[in-house]
Formats: sequence, structure tokens, C-alpha cells
Amino acid sequence: MENHKRDEDLDNGIDMVVMTDEERKVARQVQGDIPLEKRPFEVIARRIGMKEDGVVSILKRLQEKGVIRRFGAVLRHTKAGFSENAMVVWAVPEERCEEIGSRLASYNEISHCYERTPPFEGVYNLFTMVHLVGDSGGAGKPDRMDTFIQSISQAIGIGEYRILRTLKELKKSSMEYF
Amino acid sequence: MEEADRKILNALQREFPLAIEPFRVLAARAGTDEDDFLERVRSLKEQGIIRRIGAVFDGAGAGFASTLCAAKISIERLEQFTEVVNSYRGVTHNYLRDHEYNVWFTFIGSTREAIEESLSDISKQTGVTDIVSMPVKRRFKVDTRFNL
Repeated sequence: MENHKRDEDLDNGIDMVVMTDEERKVARQVQGDIPLEKRPFEVIARRIGMKEDGVVSILKRLQEKGVIRRFGAVLRHTKAGFSENAMVVWAVPEERCEEIGSRLASYNEISHCYERTPPFEGVYNLFTMVHLVGDSGGAGKPDRMDTFIQSISQAIGIGEYRILRTLKELKKSSMEYF
Repeated sequence: MEEADRKILNALQREFPLAIEPFRVLAARAGTDEDDFLERVRSLKEQGIIRRIGAVFDGAGAGFASTLCAAKISIERLEQFTEVVNSYRGVTHNYLRDHEYNVWFTFIGSTREAIEESLSDISKQTGVTDIVSMPVKRRFKVDTRFNL
């Protein structure tokens, strides 16, 4: 695989943000899994030749800087019971984007809400990821995703939308930024 | 899922403390023993319900560009296209969806130009020229914590 050049591009990316070598070293240790031990940061500190409390304070600092969005568990949501997943795209007039975007963002079932440009198929500019807990609706019962999206559509007054269901996961990984 | 596991998963997603003994803190909050707590965490990891425990970085916060791409790929070419696309480190999510544009993937790169270059690279390798790239204009929400 000729990934060399691309990797270089990615490595250069981080130079645009002011991060110390130590911060980068620590970041590299937590972009995957921390050890499931009583003192995980002690294990990490030993690996990179730092002090345990130094690692912890760097992590706190990276979180304050907004480089780390959150720290904790990332779930395989389908295994945790969220089996109905879809990307739903909405055609929203530009002047209503702020209002509709905020309203969509307030739903617990919506994990992501973005305005994207250019709009998909020329009209769908708001993108949402919707996750529902699977509950065998059974044959003949209305589709739960359809029903849920219809209710949102009515609530926000946006009738033009498309539901793009997830048929298969082709790749899911955590970005190796550092 | 057991009630205890449900609580542990919620706590691990929402209140993981950046402390010397994070699991002791979480166990104390849950009113349980640290060893039992850690044992359950390890088991949830083994079962694959927990993908990982660590930092979730903000790509933009760390200075990276990203985009969402969509392509129309016939069933016969799906495997080859997927293999090429997935070989890129910057491609972190790739899903097959029920639409004419059926392959949707995210691409993270150092700059927009670097991503564009990779996309035209993909087009050259696969012969697929119609790849739509739709970067974020405004972010309203990113919250990948699941309430159990």
C-alpha cells in the first residue's frame, strides 16, 4: 500500500496546531485504548518515560484546549441495542437553517447534525445521524424509523427529506491523528 | 443487558474522570467495589459492546480538515472500490446505504487540498469519477454517547 505520502500529509496537519512534543506523545497513547488497569495512566507514563500525574495533567489540558472532545468509552452502538440506524438528509431553506439545525440537535436519538455544502442532490443541506433502539416491530407494523422521522418532519415543518438507511458497515475505525 | 452493565456504560461514556485511579472513582460513585467494576468493564470490552476507552479527539480542534463523500457503485465493483477507499488512513467511517449513492465515507486530512488530492487518486485507481464531497459548513451537534 503506498500510503507514505498520505501519512506525511496527515502528520503535517498537526503542525498547524500548537502542541508540545509531550502533548503529542500523550495524545498518541490515548487515541486507541487505555489499559484496563487500576492505574492506566501509570502504565502509559512508564511507556513514554513520563510521570503519571504529568500524563493526567496533559490530558486535562488537551481537553480544555478542545483538542480532546471527550474522554471515556466509545460503544459499538449496534451491539448495545441501537440496531436501527440511518442518515437522514433534510432540505432546509438557508434562512431557517440555524433554527432547524438547533431543533434537530435537541433530539436524543440524533447524534450528529451538520449543515454541509454543496447540498446533496442540490437540495439536502442538513445532515443528521439517527439511532433507534431495535425493537422487533414485527411484520405488518409500521417501520419505526419512518414513523420517527415523520414525527420530526411534522414538528419542524420540513417535508423534504430522505432516509438513507445503513445497510452495512464497510469500515469503522478511530482516526490515528498523532 | 443487566442493569449494572447499563449503568457502567453510561458512566464510562459520561463521567470518566481524568484521575490517577479512574475506575476506583467510578466504582465508588456506583457504590461498588473497584475489582468488580473493572471486571465488568473488561467483560463489556471482550463482548465488543465497548469499542474502546480513550480520548475522542476533535478533528477540527486538532487542526484537521474533513469531509463526507458519496459515490454510486455497482454491486460488481463494490468490493474493489471499498478496498481502495478503506486503505486510506483518513477514511474512518464507510457505510453502504440504500440509495443510488450507496457508498458513504468520511475523509480526514491535513487540509482540504490534501483530501481532494486523495479523492482524485481514488478516482484514478478505481475509475469512479463521480465522488461527491460535502464538507461541513456549520456544526450543530456531535454527541456519540449512547444513553442506555
